[in-house]
Amino acid sequence: MSAVGERLTFKARVRVALADPVLKVAIDRTTGNARTKRAAAIAAWPGFSAARDLGRDIKDHVIAHLDHYLIQFERNAKASGAKIHWACTGPEACDIVVGICRKAGARTVTRSKSMLGEEIGLPHALQEAGIERIETDLAEHIIQLAGDPPSHIVWPALHKTREQVAALFRDHHHNPGTLATIEAMVASARRELRGRFLTADVGISGANFLIADTGAVCTVTNEGNAELTTTPPRVHIVTAGIEKLVPSTAHAMVMLRLLVRSATGAELTQYTTFHCGPKRPGDLDGPAEFHIVLVDGGRTRMLAEGLAEMLRCIRCGACLNHCVVYRQIGGHAYGSTYPGPMGSVLTPMLEGLPRSKDLPHACTLNGQCQEVCPVAIPLPTLLRGWRDRLWRLGLESVSVRQGFALWRFLALRPALYRQASGLAVRMMSWFARDGWIARMPLASGWTRYRDLPRPPGRTFIAQYRRRMRRP
Amino acid sequence: MVQDSYPESEDVVRVGLFVTCLVDAMRPAIGFAAITLLEAARSRVEVPLQQTCCGQPALNSGDLAGTRQLAQRTIALLEPFQYVVVPSGSCAATIRIHYPDLFQDDPPWRARAQALAARTYELLSFLVDIRAWSPKQVALRACATYHDSCSGLRELGIEAQPRKLLASVEGLSLRPLAGNTSCCGFGGTFCVKYAAISNAIVEEKARSIEATGAELLLGGDLGCLMNMAGKLHRRGSSIRAFHAAEILAGMGGGPAIGEAM
Amino acid sequence: MSDARSTILTAIRAALERRRGGPPMADETTIAAEAERLRARVDATRPDRLGGGPVNAFLKRLVSPAVAATAERVATLGDFPDTVRRYLTAHGLAGSVTLQPHPDLLALDWSEIETHGQPSLDEPVTVGLALGAIAETGTLVFHSGATSPTLFAFLPVHHIVAVEAGRIWSWLEDYADAFAGCAQPRNVNLITGPSGTTDIEGTLVRGAHGPGHLHVVLIGGAVPNSDVAGAPDYATLSERPMGADPPNNSSR
Repeated sequence: MSAVGERLTFKARVRVALADPVLKVAIDRTTGNARTKRAAAIAAWPGFSAARDLGRDIKDHVIAHLDHYLIQFERNAKASGAKIHWACTGPEACDIVVGICRKAGARTVTRSKSMLGEEIGLPHALQEAGIERIETDLAEHIIQLAGDPPSHIVWPALHKTREQVAALFRDHHHNPGTLATIEAMVASARRELRGRFLTADVGISGANFLIADTGAVCTVTNEGNAELTTTPPRVHIVTAGIEKLVPSTAHAMVMLRLLVRSATGAELTQYTTFHCGPKRPGDLDGPAEFHIVLVDGGRTRMLAEGLAEMLRCIRCGACLNHCVVYRQIGGHAYGSTYPGPMGSVLTPMLEGLPRSKDLPHACTLNGQCQEVCPVAIPLPTLLRGWRDRLWRLGLESVSVRQGFALWRFLALRPALYRQASGLAVRMMSWFARDGWIARMPLASGWTRYRDLPRPPGRTFIAQYRRRMRRP
Repeated sequence: MVQDSYPESEDVVRVGLFVTCLVDAMRPAIGFAAITLLEAARSRVEVPLQQTCCGQPALNSGDLAGTRQLAQRTIALLEPFQYVVVPSGSCAATIRIHYPDLFQDDPPWRARAQALAARTYELLSFLVDIRAWSPKQVALRACATYHDSCSGLRELGIEAQPRKLLASVEGLSLRPLAGNTSCCGFGGTFCVKYAAISNAIVEEKARSIEATGAELLLGGDLGCLMNMAGKLHRRGSSIRAFHAAEILAGMGGGPAIGEAM
Repeated sequence: MSDARSTILTAIRAALERRRGGPPMADETTIAAEAERLRARVDATRPDRLGGGPVNAFLKRLVSPAVAATAERVATLGDFPDTVRRYLTAHGLAGSVTLQPHPDLLALDWSEIETHGQPSLDEPVTVGLALGAIAETGTLVFHSGATSPTLFAFLPVHHIVAVEAGRIWSWLEDYADAFAGCAQPRNVNLITGPSGTTDIEGTLVRGAHGPGHLHVVLIGGAVPNSDVAGAPDYATLSERPMGADPPNNSSR
């Protein structure tokens, strides 16, 4: 049962998440491992800081010449025999994919992991079109069986316990076996999906990188499902955001060094594959048709509206793993495709600010996300930008605006400020027992969970003035 | 409390102390500790009495126009000083990092903001980096742990300086805090706006603090300290919290945060 | 679709022009030069790891727990079938193996092993010959083609691969540079260890959909235990795939 409801507010989803101790164990394990491994990998790489600067500069260079690189990529991909499609919006992209599938007479498609596919709603579109979708990435397979959305961009099924996975496999696999161990569960999934790879009509993948000077698409995976998804079927469709470009394979290698360490602490995933065009004469396997759907989906707006740095993102997930908020509430609470700090920056653009107005604010601005980002995205600055926009659009609550107006009114008038603050600290003392306030009107947000240390009764300025007057 | 006899020395600097609205209201002792330390570090300290708030709450809420008003006022108040010292990483960062950004489209104010930013320091880093000072003959027999507040750590690079200063306190031992660079969940208005999430974060932080076995929790930002101390106290912990400045100024024998005078 | 194309490109150009504040776009030559300058910076950023030369570095990385392949060395490709025989015996694998249709492999003496040409869905073993390898990461390189079908590397449980010591590139970019400007194969597979997943409770399980075992047989090269740092390891090559330059093993 999904914890994400469209109609639930952010705070309601948070409540659900915070009340789930099993989820917390899973989050701690997954993100803790990722943090430890990343730290070890970075510690073993003295050149990391310079590499990070280079990665940032490569991405900024591509963004600054995005049209040039898109055109170059398109030209080279076409020269290799690929068909290129462009989509302004997610729904357009889905229409294109469904159209290709229908033209191919596809009844079943296999899919390897693609967050962009989630973003554009491809699973739903395929279902509506009556096309059977088989997720082949193990985590995506699990959440497909469970009907859940992903809860992390690298480990989408982190919220599932082994018992829950075993139950799903027992119910849905044809030959589940004992499912007594995790190895047995993986073996069952391998058996279940094996035949589907070779009988699918269409294979759909994402892209980690688009290589401009060869027209190739790079996928970065560890299970082998991406290759088994994209080689056997007659048609391979790639869905990719337009920001995925890099100038050349050599530039992609720079990004790969950053991506994999930041995501899992490994140096390379098991399978780094460059897909370039359909089957060639002489090839013994490969798809007859190779389609690439380039999706804007709000990315040009990011470029135009001060979010260009967010286009550097290589989807490593490090910001999620280090975010104190994500680590408490998990991915579903964010209520959108992308959780964590990167999700809080992307979602208002992808889904509109009114629906996602909590996300930029549910953040302490502590900056660890930016610190660990392999391309140095200034995430706190971008979140502040959303807060600024929310304020100017008047989407803050009236009481908050009034509160700040009052605070500012006083802070601009020192004499009044002194009187008000003097009064406030004296009044607060009424609620104190010993040195602590456990409950106080207007302070329930604080005192619900912590005690408030009692102020001494005279402000610093008042005491200082008094000391200054003494002979 | 102005020290009236300094040796005639170019090394004496003129410091304007910006105590922060939180210290002003909730723990003036930190302000007095700051004065003690700055004077010991050969500074002539003045406290501009018209100070109120740097505007950080408005800034973090996205009210940039309102923040600018407060910033302009604060800049005008503080710019006469040779240095401005602030006993808080987040407020110092507001002035040092964010004030110039507020005036991107206003060159004269941007210049004033940049000029002030260049002379504004968080207290502990000022003592070490600018004054090359360390406490002498300060003693406190206690075992403490230190939490690095995020603004000071990441925006201002404050990490080594507090530890260097505290190492000179005789009898004080510092135990490492697991996850010391992980946010405590205060985040200004975050802690009341998203109180449940903040609570979950500070619960985890409190457990880490308790696991050190230290008697004292120290830090450089009162907001974070209040958040953690308030949680520790609610949990029934006997750990006592001070601002590092208070320990360095020899006030460690006095009441900790939340203790009655 | 050309509508979407022009909408997107127009929007990008408008946004970039506003960001630049007006001045014209850089031309292709300038952009390429910038990209090349960026590429040149990579040398200073690499992880330090090729002590002992690319062959030793490759082997070390290959068998490290992070990669978890197994490896052995033999003098010539002619010794390869023996290693396969021994592997099958050691793992209790009877029966036929799929042989990658590379002429250099087909020419070897496979008596005492049954071989066939098509891997099944539940193929136990395929035997292959990699195009080359990358020392930095312990990675095997396969280019799809008439002598190297992609699925041979992904269908079996056990993948036994020969690779020549003279075809080991030091760094990821060295491999990329070797094929820059050449026609690309349909699939380039950079394979680093056996398949795995940590999707269930973070527990690592090998052999998700791809092979659970990767055994690498390194052919030729310097005598084992001779740790000459940076010594080039060129071997004479009987056949070069289209577009490949000799591997550049000199440290940059």
